[in-house]
Amino acid sequence: MKQALFATGARGWRGATITAALLAAAFTSIGAQAADPIKIGVPVGLSGANSVVAPSVVQSAQLAVEEINAKGGILGRQVALEVADDGSGAAGAQKAFDSLIFDKKVNALISMETSAARNAGLPIVTRGKTPFIYTSFYEGRSCNRYMYVDAWVPDQQVAPIVDYFMKQKNAKTFFLIGSDYAFGRGMLDFTKSYIEKHGGKVVGNEYLPMDGSDWTPIISKLQAAKPDAVITSTAGGAPNVTLTKQLRAAGVKLPYGNLAVDEGTAKSMGADAEGIYISGSYVTNIDTPANKQFLAAMQKRFGADLKTPNDLSVPQYEAIYLYKAAVEKAGTTDPAKVIPLLAQVSFDGPRGTIKMDKQRHTPLTMYLGQVQADGSVKVIESFKNVDPGEQCPSLK
Amino acid sequence: MTLKNGVAPAWRTPVVIGVAALAVLALGSVVLPTFLVNNLIRAFLYAALALTVDLLWGYTGILTFGQSAFFGIGAYAAGLVFTHAGFSLPLAAGALAAGLVCAWLVSRAIGWLAFYHGASPLYASVVTLVLPIVLVQGIYSGGEFTGSSSGLSGFDSFDVPLEAWFFIAGAFLTVVAVIAWLFVRSDAGRLLVAIRENESRCEYLGIDVSRYKARLMDVCALVAAAAGFLFACVQMVVAPEYAGFVFGTELVIWVALGGRGSLLGPIVGALLIDVGSAYLSGNLPYIWTLLVGIAFVVVIVAMPRGLAPLAANALRRAVPRKRRIAPVAVSFVAAPARERERDDAQSPQAALSLRDVQKHFGSLKVLDGISFDAHAGELLSLIGPNGAGKSTLMRCIADGAQRSGGTVEIGGAEIRKLAPYDCVALGVGRKFQTATVFESLSVAEALRIARYRLAPPAKWQRDTTLELPQPALDVLRLTGLDKIPERECRYLSHGQKQALELAMVLALEPRTILLDEPTAGLTKQERTQIGAIFVALATRYRMCLLLVEHDLDFVREISSRIIVLHQGRIVMDGGVDEVVNSELVRAVYAGESHSDAASTEGGA
Amino acid sequence: MLNLGLDVVTTAAILFIVSTGLLLVFGVMKIINFSHGAFLTTGGYASVIVTQAGLSWWWGIPCALAIGFVLGMAVERFIVRPLYARPLDAILATWGLGIIVGQIITLVFGRGVQMVESPVTGALAVHGAQYSAYRLILVGVALVIALALGWLLNGTRLGLQTRAVIMNEALARGLGISSTRVRFMTFCTGAALASLAGCLITPLASVDPNMGVPWIVGAFMLVLVAGSSLVNLAVASAVLGGAQVLVSTFINPVLGGLTIAVLAALLLRIRPEGFARG
Repeated sequence: MKQALFATGARGWRGATITAALLAAAFTSIGAQAADPIKIGVPVGLSGANSVVAPSVVQSAQLAVEEINAKGGILGRQVALEVADDGSGAAGAQKAFDSLIFDKKVNALISMETSAARNAGLPIVTRGKTPFIYTSFYEGRSCNRYMYVDAWVPDQQVAPIVDYFMKQKNAKTFFLIGSDYAFGRGMLDFTKSYIEKHGGKVVGNEYLPMDGSDWTPIISKLQAAKPDAVITSTAGGAPNVTLTKQLRAAGVKLPYGNLAVDEGTAKSMGADAEGIYISGSYVTNIDTPANKQFLAAMQKRFGADLKTPNDLSVPQYEAIYLYKAAVEKAGTTDPAKVIPLLAQVSFDGPRGTIKMDKQRHTPLTMYLGQVQADGSVKVIESFKNVDPGEQCPSLK
Repeated sequence: MTLKNGVAPAWRTPVVIGVAALAVLALGSVVLPTFLVNNLIRAFLYAALALTVDLLWGYTGILTFGQSAFFGIGAYAAGLVFTHAGFSLPLAAGALAAGLVCAWLVSRAIGWLAFYHGASPLYASVVTLVLPIVLVQGIYSGGEFTGSSSGLSGFDSFDVPLEAWFFIAGAFLTVVAVIAWLFVRSDAGRLLVAIRENESRCEYLGIDVSRYKARLMDVCALVAAAAGFLFACVQMVVAPEYAGFVFGTELVIWVALGGRGSLLGPIVGALLIDVGSAYLSGNLPYIWTLLVGIAFVVVIVAMPRGLAPLAANALRRAVPRKRRIAPVAVSFVAAPARERERDDAQSPQAALSLRDVQKHFGSLKVLDGISFDAHAGELLSLIGPNGAGKSTLMRCIADGAQRSGGTVEIGGAEIRKLAPYDCVALGVGRKFQTATVFESLSVAEALRIARYRLAPPAKWQRDTTLELPQPALDVLRLTGLDKIPERECRYLSHGQKQALELAMVLALEPRTILLDEPTAGLTKQERTQIGAIFVALATRYRMCLLLVEHDLDFVREISSRIIVLHQGRIVMDGGVDEVVNSELVRAVYAGESHSDAASTEGGA
Repeated sequence: MLNLGLDVVTTAAILFIVSTGLLLVFGVMKIINFSHGAFLTTGGYASVIVTQAGLSWWWGIPCALAIGFVLGMAVERFIVRPLYARPLDAILATWGLGIIVGQIITLVFGRGVQMVESPVTGALAVHGAQYSAYRLILVGVALVIALALGWLLNGTRLGLQTRAVIMNEALARGLGISSTRVRFMTFCTGAALASLAGCLITPLASVDPNMGVPWIVGAFMLVLVAGSSLVNLAVASAVLGGAQVLVSTFINPVLGGLTIAVLAALLLRIRPEGFARG
């Protein structure tokens, strides 16, 4: 019995060694052709508050990377995507950024984060000297030697709605409602000063804790104050939805500007969302060839799994192309060379021509839209090249 | 019993291991890859934090969700100072001091709220849950000053390379762990276990449990704040989630999974889960949390000691001839006789004096107008049918807060509303009806806890001798407990537990002892034994004994005086013969009301 | 002024509805069921299932009750029962369960916020003021629940046994009452009530895997203050809920969110029995 085993064993061993050698040769030859891929790290909220929108962001990134690779990559090298979960918060972001920069050794980080996550990741970005393109709209004025922002800040988003209300709806008094966190307060602080600068009056400015869902006392105050219009900036997801529901349930029919809702959430709000005014740098109805091409490509690539592209996922797509342009212009992935060039390159994307040349931030075309009965967003007005204002004066 | 002086060098092992750990850390900081180093720095600080949770929960039984709040206070102290005032060495020292002081103040407040005589453990846990919630809302409301939900970042900190931080964080953990180890193994550390197992017994041994718990929490709060400060310095970012209750519950989960009540368990649990999640959670974000949740529930329900004992058992089997740490042998020694005992015989004051003591629950009157005196050397038995109020009366004597009216004096001093531990200081000891000892402690350890008030145990060492007063030694000798000082209480027989508890009460050197049904569950031989002990306590040591008993034969044999209680009132108070032969008493036990019996008796 | 009064009453009603299940479990079993939030969430998702299947929202009520009851059976048998003697551990185990249920719901339904159409939309005109009709309906619902529970506890044999176990479990067992069965039924009923509450609040709030979490702390503070009496719970809901509304309205909603927890903690420190008679 043993002898028989040995016999097959010996033959087996020989065969295995030959196969292994062949495979090794095959792999190394493939490997030799590949050369180091350029790695782009995407730390994003796969779990936590951002987990609803994260899949759309990842899809945008995937499409961009696949399109680039199909055309030969960047500087002849293929691009690889490394996605890490930042838990939508500080602790998770530290782990994710650490993992991407020091373990996976990515060449650049391109993603959207919550502000807490972004702030937690910045020291690690600085330590790792890695270029970071932040693709999420936020409260503004976050500055770091290694970071660029290609999404909007309050200075760009608020004006369209307030101007429209004041001019077209003759609104003079405003009531502001928000969630008590950095973004909510930042947006509404800016809104308040903008309104007052343009001759309007803020008759109420109320905040609920971030996870609060009972807007009753605030709605009561709203009704007592009898304003001409209401503008809100709540945390995404549940607070947005509950506020809208409760406003409608209380019979509030004023012009309602929502600074924090996107098409997808608006659609899921159903009938309650009808009539809400939103302002953003992207809506799916944008009628440009670049956008139509983008949407078609997304539909083809993801089919039934497609997550509606939105104002958080499209900047991701464009940012990856911007990075490509900067690397090609620099001729290298060396951060010291790439970073200054990120302000000089531009890309024609679904949102128009994107160039991050205003103190690390980006002038954008902003769209004022109104949610229709079927959940879609009708574009009422568009404003070209809205300036982001003084974001990082010390970082020219 | 041989007299052995000297203290076992219990500090040697922990310190040696600590130094070895520091050496490993120094090596690791240069050898390990950067990503792992970064993760471990955070994990070390979390592990130190988990240790504080274990000390409070695993050892002492205080389930706390609030250690994250103290961590957050330390971290935000650094973050706020460095962001708004800049960074410099004096500022850093100031920030650390501010963080520690703030944590200490908050801990005092929590201690006042949660730890007081009669507080329920559930309430204490609830308070520790509310603390981080309130703190986080405070941070959110702070707007630009505190960074609100985004946290604070971009501030300067110590310019120290990561490898050095690795060593610093690891050293912090090592120092905390070694100190905790020394404390927990010491004689004083056994008190933590005693509190966890039987807080009420501790109070009746004269230990101010609430104050002890509050001080333990103060110390743990300071350690947590220090860990938070270091964390902010190395990470250069602070966020509200580090102070929140989700993080607080995560700490509890790590301790539970790693093994509560051990020191290595929480450290391993924290390190493995935190570092593991850094590697794994990216690949499976939802599943990871689900797995941890499932493991947590399984461990709580089926393996409350955590996974550490499993690992320890496996280790023991893998390393067969591991030298087991020999328990420190303890021998009992007679304590020097106290001045008091000689004074007692001359003192004219009653050992116990009750005047019109009342107790009612709502409209139900359980005790009404109880008045009597008891003197040194008396063996007074309290008898009466069920529901007469005997146990209630015992409680009213030993705990000042219990009675609804009247006065109780112990040795001439009024007990007013004093808690049990203060009543013990006045000279009364109470032996409970069910033998309440400390299951996990050994006989010697339990007795040492009993001596806590008179002879505080060593904080960092383990004594090999224990002084006990002669009466206690007599009881131990008589029942053979003096031969088995290292046996765990859970392995004692019922009679042995009763004897041990009696010895513990005697160790308090009380002048008055309250005994609640001491013969319950004893064999005839044990009853005779204990009867002889009681008589000796009264006659030889001049103590005043107050017994609640149902066994009338036992009562008749040993008592010098009997009080009969019926429906909350004293119906008879006199010598043994008088009471035993009384018609009234027979009627009372037969169930008639005492006024009927009195008329039958003819006004005896 | 009228608005404020209505706010107080409706808030109290909602708090009462959310807390009754917890009260029942706490009164009988003396443990705090930290998975209460998870049961609220399952009730919310019951609404989602029902409305997505095309049925009227009202079918969500029996659906939620059934799901809650069945889930409660499993939880009591496997998690709570082994921990009778370890109440603090029961808190932890039920908290862990809450995490598990949250994750499972996330896996099945996705993390997104679901919308459930309100069965009663719009506002009612009340003395000149507009007030949400559904909130007013909930006051009525709270009364119905209170009466139903009251009848269950006082008018049925099981209710009598439950009250006996609440007052003195050892004695009840001595009299032949199966306290195991009483605990089992109580937990299932408590879970069903929690699920019902979750279903009832969906028209006011959104449905997402963590919708139950913000209610937990407030609910059990109310229960701790109320002890084991339904009447006390109503009083606590009114007093503490009213305080919450007043603080939210006149000071700021952030402090308002903390009011119930902080007031209850202070109240219990001063008077550990809460509102119960001493």
